[in-house]
Amino acid sequence: MNILSVSNLTKRYGKYLAVNNISFKLREGEILGILGPNGAGKTTTIQMLLGVLTPTAGDISYFGKNFKENREFILERVNFSSTYTNLPWTLTVKESFSFISYFYDIKNRKKRINEIVSLFKLKDLYNSEIKDLSAGELTRVNLAKAFINYPKVLLLDEPTASLDPDIAKYLRKFIINESEKFKVSIILTSHNMAEVEEVCDRVIFLNKGKIIADNTPEKLAKSIKIAHVELFITDGLKRTLEFCKKSNYEYKESSRFLRVDIAEERIHIFLKELANIGVNYNQISIDKPSLEDYFLQVVSK
Amino acid sequence: MKLHRLFGLFIRYMYYFRKSWDRLSDAFYWPAIDVLVWGITSAYVKKIAPDFPQIVLIIMSGLLLWLILWRAQYEISINLLEEFWNRNLINIFVSPVKFSEWVLTVMLLGLVKAIFSLPFAAILAYLLYKFNIFLYGFYMIPFILILFMTGWAVGFFVSGLILRFGTKIQTFAWTTIGLLSPLVAVYYPVSILPPAIQKISYLLPPTYVFEAGRSLIFKGLIDTQGLVISFILNIFYLILSIWFLKLSFDKILNKGLIKPH
Repeated sequence: MNILSVSNLTKRYGKYLAVNNISFKLREGEILGILGPNGAGKTTTIQMLLGVLTPTAGDISYFGKNFKENREFILERVNFSSTYTNLPWTLTVKESFSFISYFYDIKNRKKRINEIVSLFKLKDLYNSEIKDLSAGELTRVNLAKAFINYPKVLLLDEPTASLDPDIAKYLRKFIINESEKFKVSIILTSHNMAEVEEVCDRVIFLNKGKIIADNTPEKLAKSIKIAHVELFITDGLKRTLEFCKKSNYEYKESSRFLRVDIAEERIHIFLKELANIGVNYNQISIDKPSLEDYFLQVVSK
Repeated sequence: MKLHRLFGLFIRYMYYFRKSWDRLSDAFYWPAIDVLVWGITSAYVKKIAPDFPQIVLIIMSGLLLWLILWRAQYEISINLLEEFWNRNLINIFVSPVKFSEWVLTVMLLGLVKAIFSLPFAAILAYLLYKFNIFLYGFYMIPFILILFMTGWAVGFFVSGLILRFGTKIQTFAWTTIGLLSPLVAVYYPVSILPPAIQKISYLLPPTYVFEAGRSLIFKGLIDTQGLVISFILNIFYLILSIWFLKLSFDKILNKGLIKPH
């Protein structure tokens, strides 16, 4: 079942086309990543999906209802967290959650606030003022805020930015669990490719306002077909570098560590050729192409 | 409109008000200083001009009525600025909160905060100078209503400008209402203004209130027709200002609420 349908969405600022006629769907319980370089149109798209930016053209429907005509109904079931927004500086976490909870039709507000305070491990910060929180704590509070109304759709803009690795890991797990347990559909933007690969079921890649790819993270990564082979050259470094140069391999060398970017199906040939010219090596590692490789390839084009 | 959402917005601003020295000083400190300084000044004028005993009444009533107008305007503009400074506007409008609910809340906030700060200034004026604001009797009700309506209209107009041009013109939140003060004849009759300016004065609703106040002090009479004109003018300005604010809000939605300024 499609929870969100976006069709022909366009945003133009004067002559600049920020989002160019994009269409996509979000299924129930799906986690969709929106990736793209800076200025690709990610935040512009998120803003239009939240109704805080008026599209130049196109339609947005949630739960089969037109967003423009059913704003109140839809926003009761949608929430958002971003590193680009704040809660009021001088209010405590408790006060912020309290006033925001009244924006939604929640049955037992106190119970819900206690639940999210416990889920996001915010007990120690509950009476702290927002201005006294660290960047990581603030991100956690913002994310907790987004869960206050039992959302059916969550829009998360860089949800784990500035978090310590352990908390980020916990929250990634939490996001996946919430999505599975309560069928929450999530749209997520992140600069952390490993995070997107771990969390997202599907990725939309935006570039210059257009969708240039829409697939699973695995399939996008596989489309690259370039793997990274890393070797520690114990004997024959000069020969190896000459060979790489002659064979037009992309490579980098530092302190006898050699990294070669090479098509997956050519790895065995490469290693055989090294053996043929008498190169000795150890500590070999082969990294499969990742989403980051896909990102870098698209951005470099 | 949903009551729980109005309440959510209301407590958001009240939490802030409770702990902000800036807002507390706006509500109590500055009115107290005004009452003190203008009270002493009028007492001095009364001493050197004994033929004009009403001077204390005129100045103190002008001051207290002016505070109502200022309070209503300031509350609206400053609450919008608070959201800009805190980058919190988006947290409000990604929720089901409607623009009309925000507008109603800031209007009510002005009234509620006036309930705190005006009696404070009025009691101070009574204790220090034996000035009783209730000398106007039941006329205080239309006076307050008219002044609030004008304050709201100016507040919405200034907020519309802030939405369009951002915090670089935030000084308008403090200064715009000051533009009205020489025109609405707070402490002096309209008749002493140049004829061309008088015409402008009579287009401004508070002028009728201040004139009516003086008329009551000097003649014991009130021009009720003037108050009706004032009320009608207010309705016109209020509709115009809310329309302008809504246009400005729609305009900002064309830029997006994340990092708008």
